[in-house]
Amino acid sequence: MESQQENRQDFEPFIVAFVCNWCTYTAADLAGTSRLQIPKNVHLIRVMCTGMVDSQYIIKALLEGADGVLVSGCHPGDCHYINGNFKARRRMKLLQAMLATMGIEPQRLRLTWIGASDGIQFAKTMRELVEQVRQLGPNPGAARSVA
Amino acid sequence: MSLTEQKIGRALVVGAGVGGIRAALDLAQSGYRVTLIEKEAHTGGILAKLDRQFPTDRCGMCKMLPTIKRDAVSQHCLRRGLFHENIEIITGASLLALEGTPGNFSARIQENPRWVDADLCTGCGLCEQVCPVEIKNPFNQHMGLCKAIHLPTPHSIPNSYVIDTTACTRCGECEKVCPTGAIRISWQDRERFRVLVVDDELIVRSSLEAWLSKEAGFSADTAGSGEEALELLGTNSYQVMFLDIKMPGMDGMEVLEKAKGISPDTAVVMMTAYATVETAVEAMKIGALDYLVKPFDAESVLPKVNSIYEALQLSTARKLDVGAVVLCGGVSYFDPSTGKDTFCYGASKNVVTSLEFERMLSSCGPFEGKLLRPDNLKPVQKVAFIQCVGSRDIGLNADFCSSACCAFAVKEARLAVEQSNSQVEAAIFYMDMRAYQKPLESYCQDAREQYGVRFVKSRVHSVIADKDNNCILRYPSPQDGSMQEESFDMVVLAVGQRPAKASRELADMLELPVNEFGFIKTLPFSCCETEKPGIFAGGSFTGLKDINESLICAGAAAQGASLALHGAGGSLAPVAKAIRPDPELLRALPSVFIALCTCNNKLGRVEDEKALADKLKYQPCVKKVHAFERLCTSSGFDELVEAVKKSGANRLLVGTCLPHLHESRIIELARTLKVDRACVEVTDIFAPANRDGQQGEPKGLSGSSEVLSILLSGIARLKRVRPHPLPTIPVTQQALIIGGGIAGITAALAIADQGFEVELVEKGQRLGGNLSWIKRTIEGLETAPLLEETLGRLEKHPLITLHTQAGVLATTGSIGSFESRVATNNGEHTIAHGVCILATGADEAPVKGFGYGLAESVMTQKEWESALEKNSQEASNLESIVFIQCAGCRSEERNYCARVCCATTLKQALYIKVQNPSSAVFVLYRDMMAYGQMESYYTQARRMGVIFIPYKKDCPPSVEKKDEGLFVTAFDPILQKDLCISADRVILAAGLAPELPEDLAAGLGIQIDEHGFFKEAQFKWQPVESATSGFFACGAVLGPRNISESIASAKAAASRALALLTKESITGGRISASVRPSLCSLCERCIEACPYGARTLDTENEKILVNPALCQGCGSCVTACPNGASVLEGFLREQMLETIDAAFA
Repeated sequence: MESQQENRQDFEPFIVAFVCNWCTYTAADLAGTSRLQIPKNVHLIRVMCTGMVDSQYIIKALLEGADGVLVSGCHPGDCHYINGNFKARRRMKLLQAMLATMGIEPQRLRLTWIGASDGIQFAKTMRELVEQVRQLGPNPGAARSVA
Repeated sequence: MSLTEQKIGRALVVGAGVGGIRAALDLAQSGYRVTLIEKEAHTGGILAKLDRQFPTDRCGMCKMLPTIKRDAVSQHCLRRGLFHENIEIITGASLLALEGTPGNFSARIQENPRWVDADLCTGCGLCEQVCPVEIKNPFNQHMGLCKAIHLPTPHSIPNSYVIDTTACTRCGECEKVCPTGAIRISWQDRERFRVLVVDDELIVRSSLEAWLSKEAGFSADTAGSGEEALELLGTNSYQVMFLDIKMPGMDGMEVLEKAKGISPDTAVVMMTAYATVETAVEAMKIGALDYLVKPFDAESVLPKVNSIYEALQLSTARKLDVGAVVLCGGVSYFDPSTGKDTFCYGASKNVVTSLEFERMLSSCGPFEGKLLRPDNLKPVQKVAFIQCVGSRDIGLNADFCSSACCAFAVKEARLAVEQSNSQVEAAIFYMDMRAYQKPLESYCQDAREQYGVRFVKSRVHSVIADKDNNCILRYPSPQDGSMQEESFDMVVLAVGQRPAKASRELADMLELPVNEFGFIKTLPFSCCETEKPGIFAGGSFTGLKDINESLICAGAAAQGASLALHGAGGSLAPVAKAIRPDPELLRALPSVFIALCTCNNKLGRVEDEKALADKLKYQPCVKKVHAFERLCTSSGFDELVEAVKKSGANRLLVGTCLPHLHESRIIELARTLKVDRACVEVTDIFAPANRDGQQGEPKGLSGSSEVLSILLSGIARLKRVRPHPLPTIPVTQQALIIGGGIAGITAALAIADQGFEVELVEKGQRLGGNLSWIKRTIEGLETAPLLEETLGRLEKHPLITLHTQAGVLATTGSIGSFESRVATNNGEHTIAHGVCILATGADEAPVKGFGYGLAESVMTQKEWESALEKNSQEASNLESIVFIQCAGCRSEERNYCARVCCATTLKQALYIKVQNPSSAVFVLYRDMMAYGQMESYYTQARRMGVIFIPYKKDCPPSVEKKDEGLFVTAFDPILQKDLCISADRVILAAGLAPELPEDLAAGLGIQIDEHGFFKEAQFKWQPVESATSGFFACGAVLGPRNISESIASAKAAASRALALLTKESITGGRISASVRPSLCSLCERCIEACPYGARTLDTENEKILVNPALCQGCGSCVTACPNGASVLEGFLREQMLETIDAAFA
């Protein structure tokens, strides 16, 4: 038990983040230019809107070995495409319920709203997510080859 | 004259705040070229500092970007900056001079000296790390610290550093570490700058020489006489000469004249004793640059030489031919430290201005978005907002209302509550809550009810800091007038607007008249036309506007400028021909050339290309990996073109810094390589490579796994690219305008004057709308001549067809090609049009209660206005008149402020007082909405003895009819008792109700808001547009507004409509959705999912159709489709899946 705890501390989770072109991508860039500490094990994938993030993309990322997936877009009412973020919210809610049936903890999928000037919020969310996923341990659903 | 020889119309927009951006985008979209200059180093103006705006409490600035012809404009957050193929943006520049006539102006533009070359700076930030000088952060309103070399805003692109030259010690550390050599402050350069000191006194010569060479680092020579000086000027070249006037032998004036012959480029600074200042002034007339009065010290000399040095070394004045000028210089804000009554500002750290508080709320602000007391950094628990600081203050020559601060304060209060999870208690101390914009009434109610914000109607007497630095507010109680003391953690002062600093300079230079407060004056009934034809004032430059009004005014100014360009024969910019995708290319296997910029070997060396190529060898489509030292230079660009051509690759992946920055270059690159734009992909490798190296040396290109991932996803996107011609739809270049009030007439004329046909439909028999009963405005302007003039032009205009007693039954089609059925007296017609502008207006709202109907002497404003017109004796016979405000609006039924009624009441009250000074005039009001310059009429009315008595919504005045006459009973809060006023007339401010029947809106397919007005796509950022593309609105149907505001909105709507009408066809965006019919099961889920209504079912051919003009490429339809039939070009499912694979590389 103790060793498992220890392992978790050493464990470096890998996060795939789908970020919207308008808000969160700008915040991520801002975090970069402001030289904030962003965990290195986060890979950003820019999409035009969170509304276009298909469940398939998230499941694929989780199956391929991502320990956590973040979907992040504009605040409610702020979406450049009027309501894409609301569509994402509905979809993520449903998907979280489904993930549990696949043996993947729903907490591995997170949806946040991060506005264009929230560089600090972006960095903070990333650190929190990494920590949260670290506590969960490696993704049990990942179809990874054992190294 | 052939099209190519024709002069292309170009407008100059001065100021790149949101107003300037709006004007520039409107002009650029109409097809004109625009030069947008900005004094600061970044665009966005004040909005760069405001993260969130009312009424949404979010941002939404990107909604200003056009939805049609998206590919011409940047597709990213506007805070990062703007790109448009027709707009040239020059930051750090100002307008020096303007000559000529409308259509043929010649502007001189001065680019400020920049010590950091924006073309070379990559924003790596090494300079910031070594800079030893800390200054107060100007972006955060001087709260918190930053270095003397800093980024002007956190998010702007280009992301180049700027140096605060007043604080910089010129230590040269930044220059040493700059990897691209972008910084130039070195002493070597200064040594090459030669100064000659000519004086007969040794002490002057030697001390100047010492200051100039030892302290400033210039090369200084001296001469003891005029003759010696001329000899030196003949042999060496000097940039500056300090010349004494009074010398034995040849005197200074003579030397100056001769020196101009020998070395005309040398700048001469005369040195003079106090007695001979007049001679020095003479000397300036014959070519001296400046003069110094003896005795002087190093502090007065060195800045002068430095500024000459900077001007000569780095600045350039540019000449530009423009057809029209739009001034969008914005406003500045009252500095409370300059006033007499400052509410402790400056003395207590906890008293801040609204702008400072805004920065404190921002997550890139001084406290990272945490609400902390500036004195002890403990969480704020109680904050007070004091309104009207530097506005509505006669003592400060500010007899105006700044219009935006009430909503600004309410927003800040709501945000403070929200951001602290309701831990903060907020109170707003105000005189009148001027929430006069349509959505603000309910916004304030929400603030009160949901956020618990306290609204205290009281003018704060003073603020004092106690020993714990708490702010003690002293104010009269709104209940009984007794003095109260209350302690707050922080006080926020709502600082009023002032003319921008540049405003006076521009006004002087362009000889434009200003009003008594220093704001630029405009022509009667116009918000934007200045006295000089061809020069317009847009945005908030004329002062006292919020964002919504500023953008409307900017749009109106753009329309004026556009007309000036059109009138002067300026043609539209030629549209670049789309490159037809080579059919061979579609069949050919993808072969990708990967070009990497190493940024002067900073991101690793050219050897890396081999290592990377090795890692990419399992990607058969990769033709070549090539590292370049600097792709952003023109030589690097040529090198790239050469290498790609040689390689024979058909796709290009460029890895560089800041991909957004290079959009214009990418388009050029695609054109030079003769490939489709889609075949060139630019990806950011700089940020991750830098990030990887955060804890030490950069790992370089080959060392970073993230760079590899990024390149792999770039390859994934490129190899699935399907270059195809972008779909276009034709545009019927004709407009339909519904409603023939002043707004509709103005919009019709604005469009027809630009050469497009207009069909104007009016339901009544006559045109003119509310102008038929409003005879004059509060400013005393007659409306009849305005109506006569516009109607005269309208009737004679060959391009306008008028349909009176007509109505639109239904509209079919979509943007660019609508068809409307119009019913007129002689049957039904069908009108084809590309856009539709709605101007159906508003009428006086019906009144219930307040004694209306009790007697004839209880009447509405409209009724009384007509009565006054009919009987000029009406006013002089009356002894007592009572006005009751908010009699029809700001109620449950009509929960908005009608905003025009307070002005009407003031106008009528002033009229009575002038006609019959002995009459008693009472105004019973809730909040006097005397926004902007209307405030001065409010002051005037009080001076003339009009008695204003406030009442509360839940305690309205009552009107009774007794035998002796009419009596109005109201509670007077000062006397603390009920007043019973005998009234000869009771005038009710009924307000305005929209004239937009639901069936008309439904027939057109547009939305109406909860009050029945036209619903804007976004109140703030798209104020005259509908969410349904192709529909615009102006005038009072948008929301209550007065005549000049209606005219402004009409011009703004016309300007937006012209952006479309000037095009023969609209091309869809590169990233847009389409349908694969073979996979489609016609379930229609995508139709439901599309937020733009771009999809329709073609029942005949059993297909889902996508309108390319409407589709914005959000991809909602793709996720809704259960069969994978809906695809988004640029983000195909195959591309996305492979991009995810690349993440695990």
